[in-house]
Amino acid sequence: MARNAMAQEKIFALRREIARIEGSLPERLQAPETEGEPVLRRYGRPAGAADFAGTGTPRFDAAFGGGILKAALTEIAGRETRDGGIVAGFALAIAATAARSGRQAQRPVLWIGLADMLFEAGFPYAPGIERFFGLAPEKFLLARANRFEDAFWVAEEAIRLGGFSAVFLELRGNPAKLDLTATRRLHHRAREAGRPLFLIRHSGAPEPTAAPTRLLVSPAPSPLRETLTGPLPRSIGPPAFAVALSKSRTGRSGTFVLDWNPHDFTFQERWPSGERGSVRKSGRRAQDPGCLAAASFDGPDPAAAARGGLAPVRERRAG
Amino acid sequence: MGIADARAMHPAIEIVEADPGADRRLLESLADWCDRFTPLVALDGADGLFLDISGCAHLFGGEDAMLSEILRRLRHQGFDARAALASTPGMAWAAARYGRGPDRNVAPGEEELALAPMPLAALRLEEKARVGLESVGLRHVGALIGAPRAPLARRFGSMLVTRLDQALGGAEEAISPRLPVAPLSVERQLAEPIGTTEDIERLVLVLARTLRQDLERRGEGARRLQLALFRVDGAVARITVGASRPLREPLTIAKLFHERLTALESGLDAGYGFDLVRLSVVAAAPYAALQTDLSGPASAEEEEFSLLADRIRARLGDEAILVPALAESHLPERRARFVPFGGESPSAVEPSSAGEAKPTTHLRPIRLLEKPEPVEASAEVPEGPPLSFRWRRALYRVARAEGPERIASEWWREDPPAPARDYFRVEDVDGRRYWLFREGLYGGEIAPRWFMHGMFP
Repeated sequence: MARNAMAQEKIFALRREIARIEGSLPERLQAPETEGEPVLRRYGRPAGAADFAGTGTPRFDAAFGGGILKAALTEIAGRETRDGGIVAGFALAIAATAARSGRQAQRPVLWIGLADMLFEAGFPYAPGIERFFGLAPEKFLLARANRFEDAFWVAEEAIRLGGFSAVFLELRGNPAKLDLTATRRLHHRAREAGRPLFLIRHSGAPEPTAAPTRLLVSPAPSPLRETLTGPLPRSIGPPAFAVALSKSRTGRSGTFVLDWNPHDFTFQERWPSGERGSVRKSGRRAQDPGCLAAASFDGPDPAAAARGGLAPVRERRAG
Repeated sequence: MGIADARAMHPAIEIVEADPGADRRLLESLADWCDRFTPLVALDGADGLFLDISGCAHLFGGEDAMLSEILRRLRHQGFDARAALASTPGMAWAAARYGRGPDRNVAPGEEELALAPMPLAALRLEEKARVGLESVGLRHVGALIGAPRAPLARRFGSMLVTRLDQALGGAEEAISPRLPVAPLSVERQLAEPIGTTEDIERLVLVLARTLRQDLERRGEGARRLQLALFRVDGAVARITVGASRPLREPLTIAKLFHERLTALESGLDAGYGFDLVRLSVVAAAPYAALQTDLSGPASAEEEEFSLLADRIRARLGDEAILVPALAESHLPERRARFVPFGGESPSAVEPSSAGEAKPTTHLRPIRLLEKPEPVEASAEVPEGPPLSFRWRRALYRVARAEGPERIASEWWREDPPAPARDYFRVEDVDGRRYWLFREGLYGGEIAPRWFMHGMFP
């Protein structure tokens, strides 16, 4: 065992060396083809393919280094509250792919919402969720809290239980109590339990977060309905999401348009060219940050403010 | 005597208006406090309390010791109370009010002797009957005891005889307790009052352990538990927690109360401390002792779920954790609504879906607004989808639309029936997908109105 660990340590060191020579990050290196030793990752725990929720879209998954981490906190942000359906749908879709690749399909999910948010953006509707994401209504639990502290407490306790296939915590704006420490607590709980925790945030300014992944989800025009005679004009097809990587472990950025197939519950990437509908490309391609820690894009760099030794300055929401 | 006369005689007199409501509340809180002696406490008129101490006296060192203890404690609280012990409520009532001497207690068998010299008012008679009896010269109860009963009843009503029998023990009289009596309860008297939440929680655990033996003997588990905290100065705090499945495990019970107490922290006023803590099972249910099988920890997991749900409910209230309950209906809001977890099971709410709860083939949104919100919409053609609409003061341009899907109201439920709704799926130019409906028809009796009802992914 000790030898094994030593060997992994060595491989890890070599990978870092190679990455340094190539001027890249170790996470960006191509994974070895052979079914060999798992590569040592952060926190000293080997990460295999089972730890990732692959979406089945190669380009999107590669941007995360294999997919979204299953045992982690993942932030899914929406620009406006009226995008609530899109953002919630994307979170449920990711959870559905994560649950399918694991053996947790029979477990329930817990949706935690603040009462005012539920009234503003609507209650989750079980028949629709079953129709689009294959989650049976009896497996859906909704926790309604009146204060952020209560919602946070429920999220922490629920993820610690480990019995839910996914826990969703839905918030709006920037609650003062949701700081770096709070997200770190959630992330640690999720990692210990080995279950995904999705923090859904509506119309909030980007803040420092301990979540390894942050995605910004915007609406995207859906593809046309496919019929035997070709696409049906002016029809509304399956759900589509425009997803921008705001923070990822590999430090890559990008914008992807993903179509959700509600029949076999898979994602499909829509290539920007050749399709109708405008796909916003990420304007700023961020430079290689050159560090192992997750970096953020598409927003003011909160880490810079934090590094200055001062409390992070809350950015006023633009637009 | 009027106030002016009274003031003329005693200028220093203080006038306070009578407040029957406040007196009543005081009496009720006193009854709550008396709960520490016996669970059977009943209010008696505006100024009296009945305590049924059957089976409780030995806990306080006998009847006389208990009575003097009650009186001593009441005196410490500043109440001047008169009390008497007797075998019947009627006799005790009479002795407390009309008994003479320091020892008003009436031993069993001595009721006639004690009642005979008392005035007729001791029998709790109506004013009319009492005046009538006094007018014929019967002023003491003793004159009635030996008298022939039929003429008495005929002339003064049967109530007279009933009251007499009740006082003497010839007729049963039940007092109606103010609070329901818990089937099981355990309590702990404390020599040193406690006040901190930690102490209370520790004590709950101790009490729950005792309770467990009783529950096991009865083959039951607790569905609702109440913790009564008796404060030194007489106030009583009662805290209730519910469980979605019958409970026995002391640690679980302690956990639930922990959540409840944490949520209450600011609301629980310990004052000078609590000197009596009682844990009672308010509602119990048969406890199914399940044997865990080898096929998996499914039941253990379910138990964990219900424990988490109970803890959430204990802390945030019964409405905090919800599950969708499906019903056979085309109206979206009736098709699935949220009900509290662990209440009546979803299948009990709705009889016919057990076998045919198949996913709907129609596209339904994944978020539904609690109430459809009115929008201003303009349609190109009557009956057609909207071209643009204004919702929450923002304008949306519709790029594509599908519909209509007509959902008629359920006339067998509503009177008068609501107009039918025409639902449209629309996608705006940015790609947001919404579910709108139009109520009423253009050119119909009811002017058409548009509503926003849900969001698609």
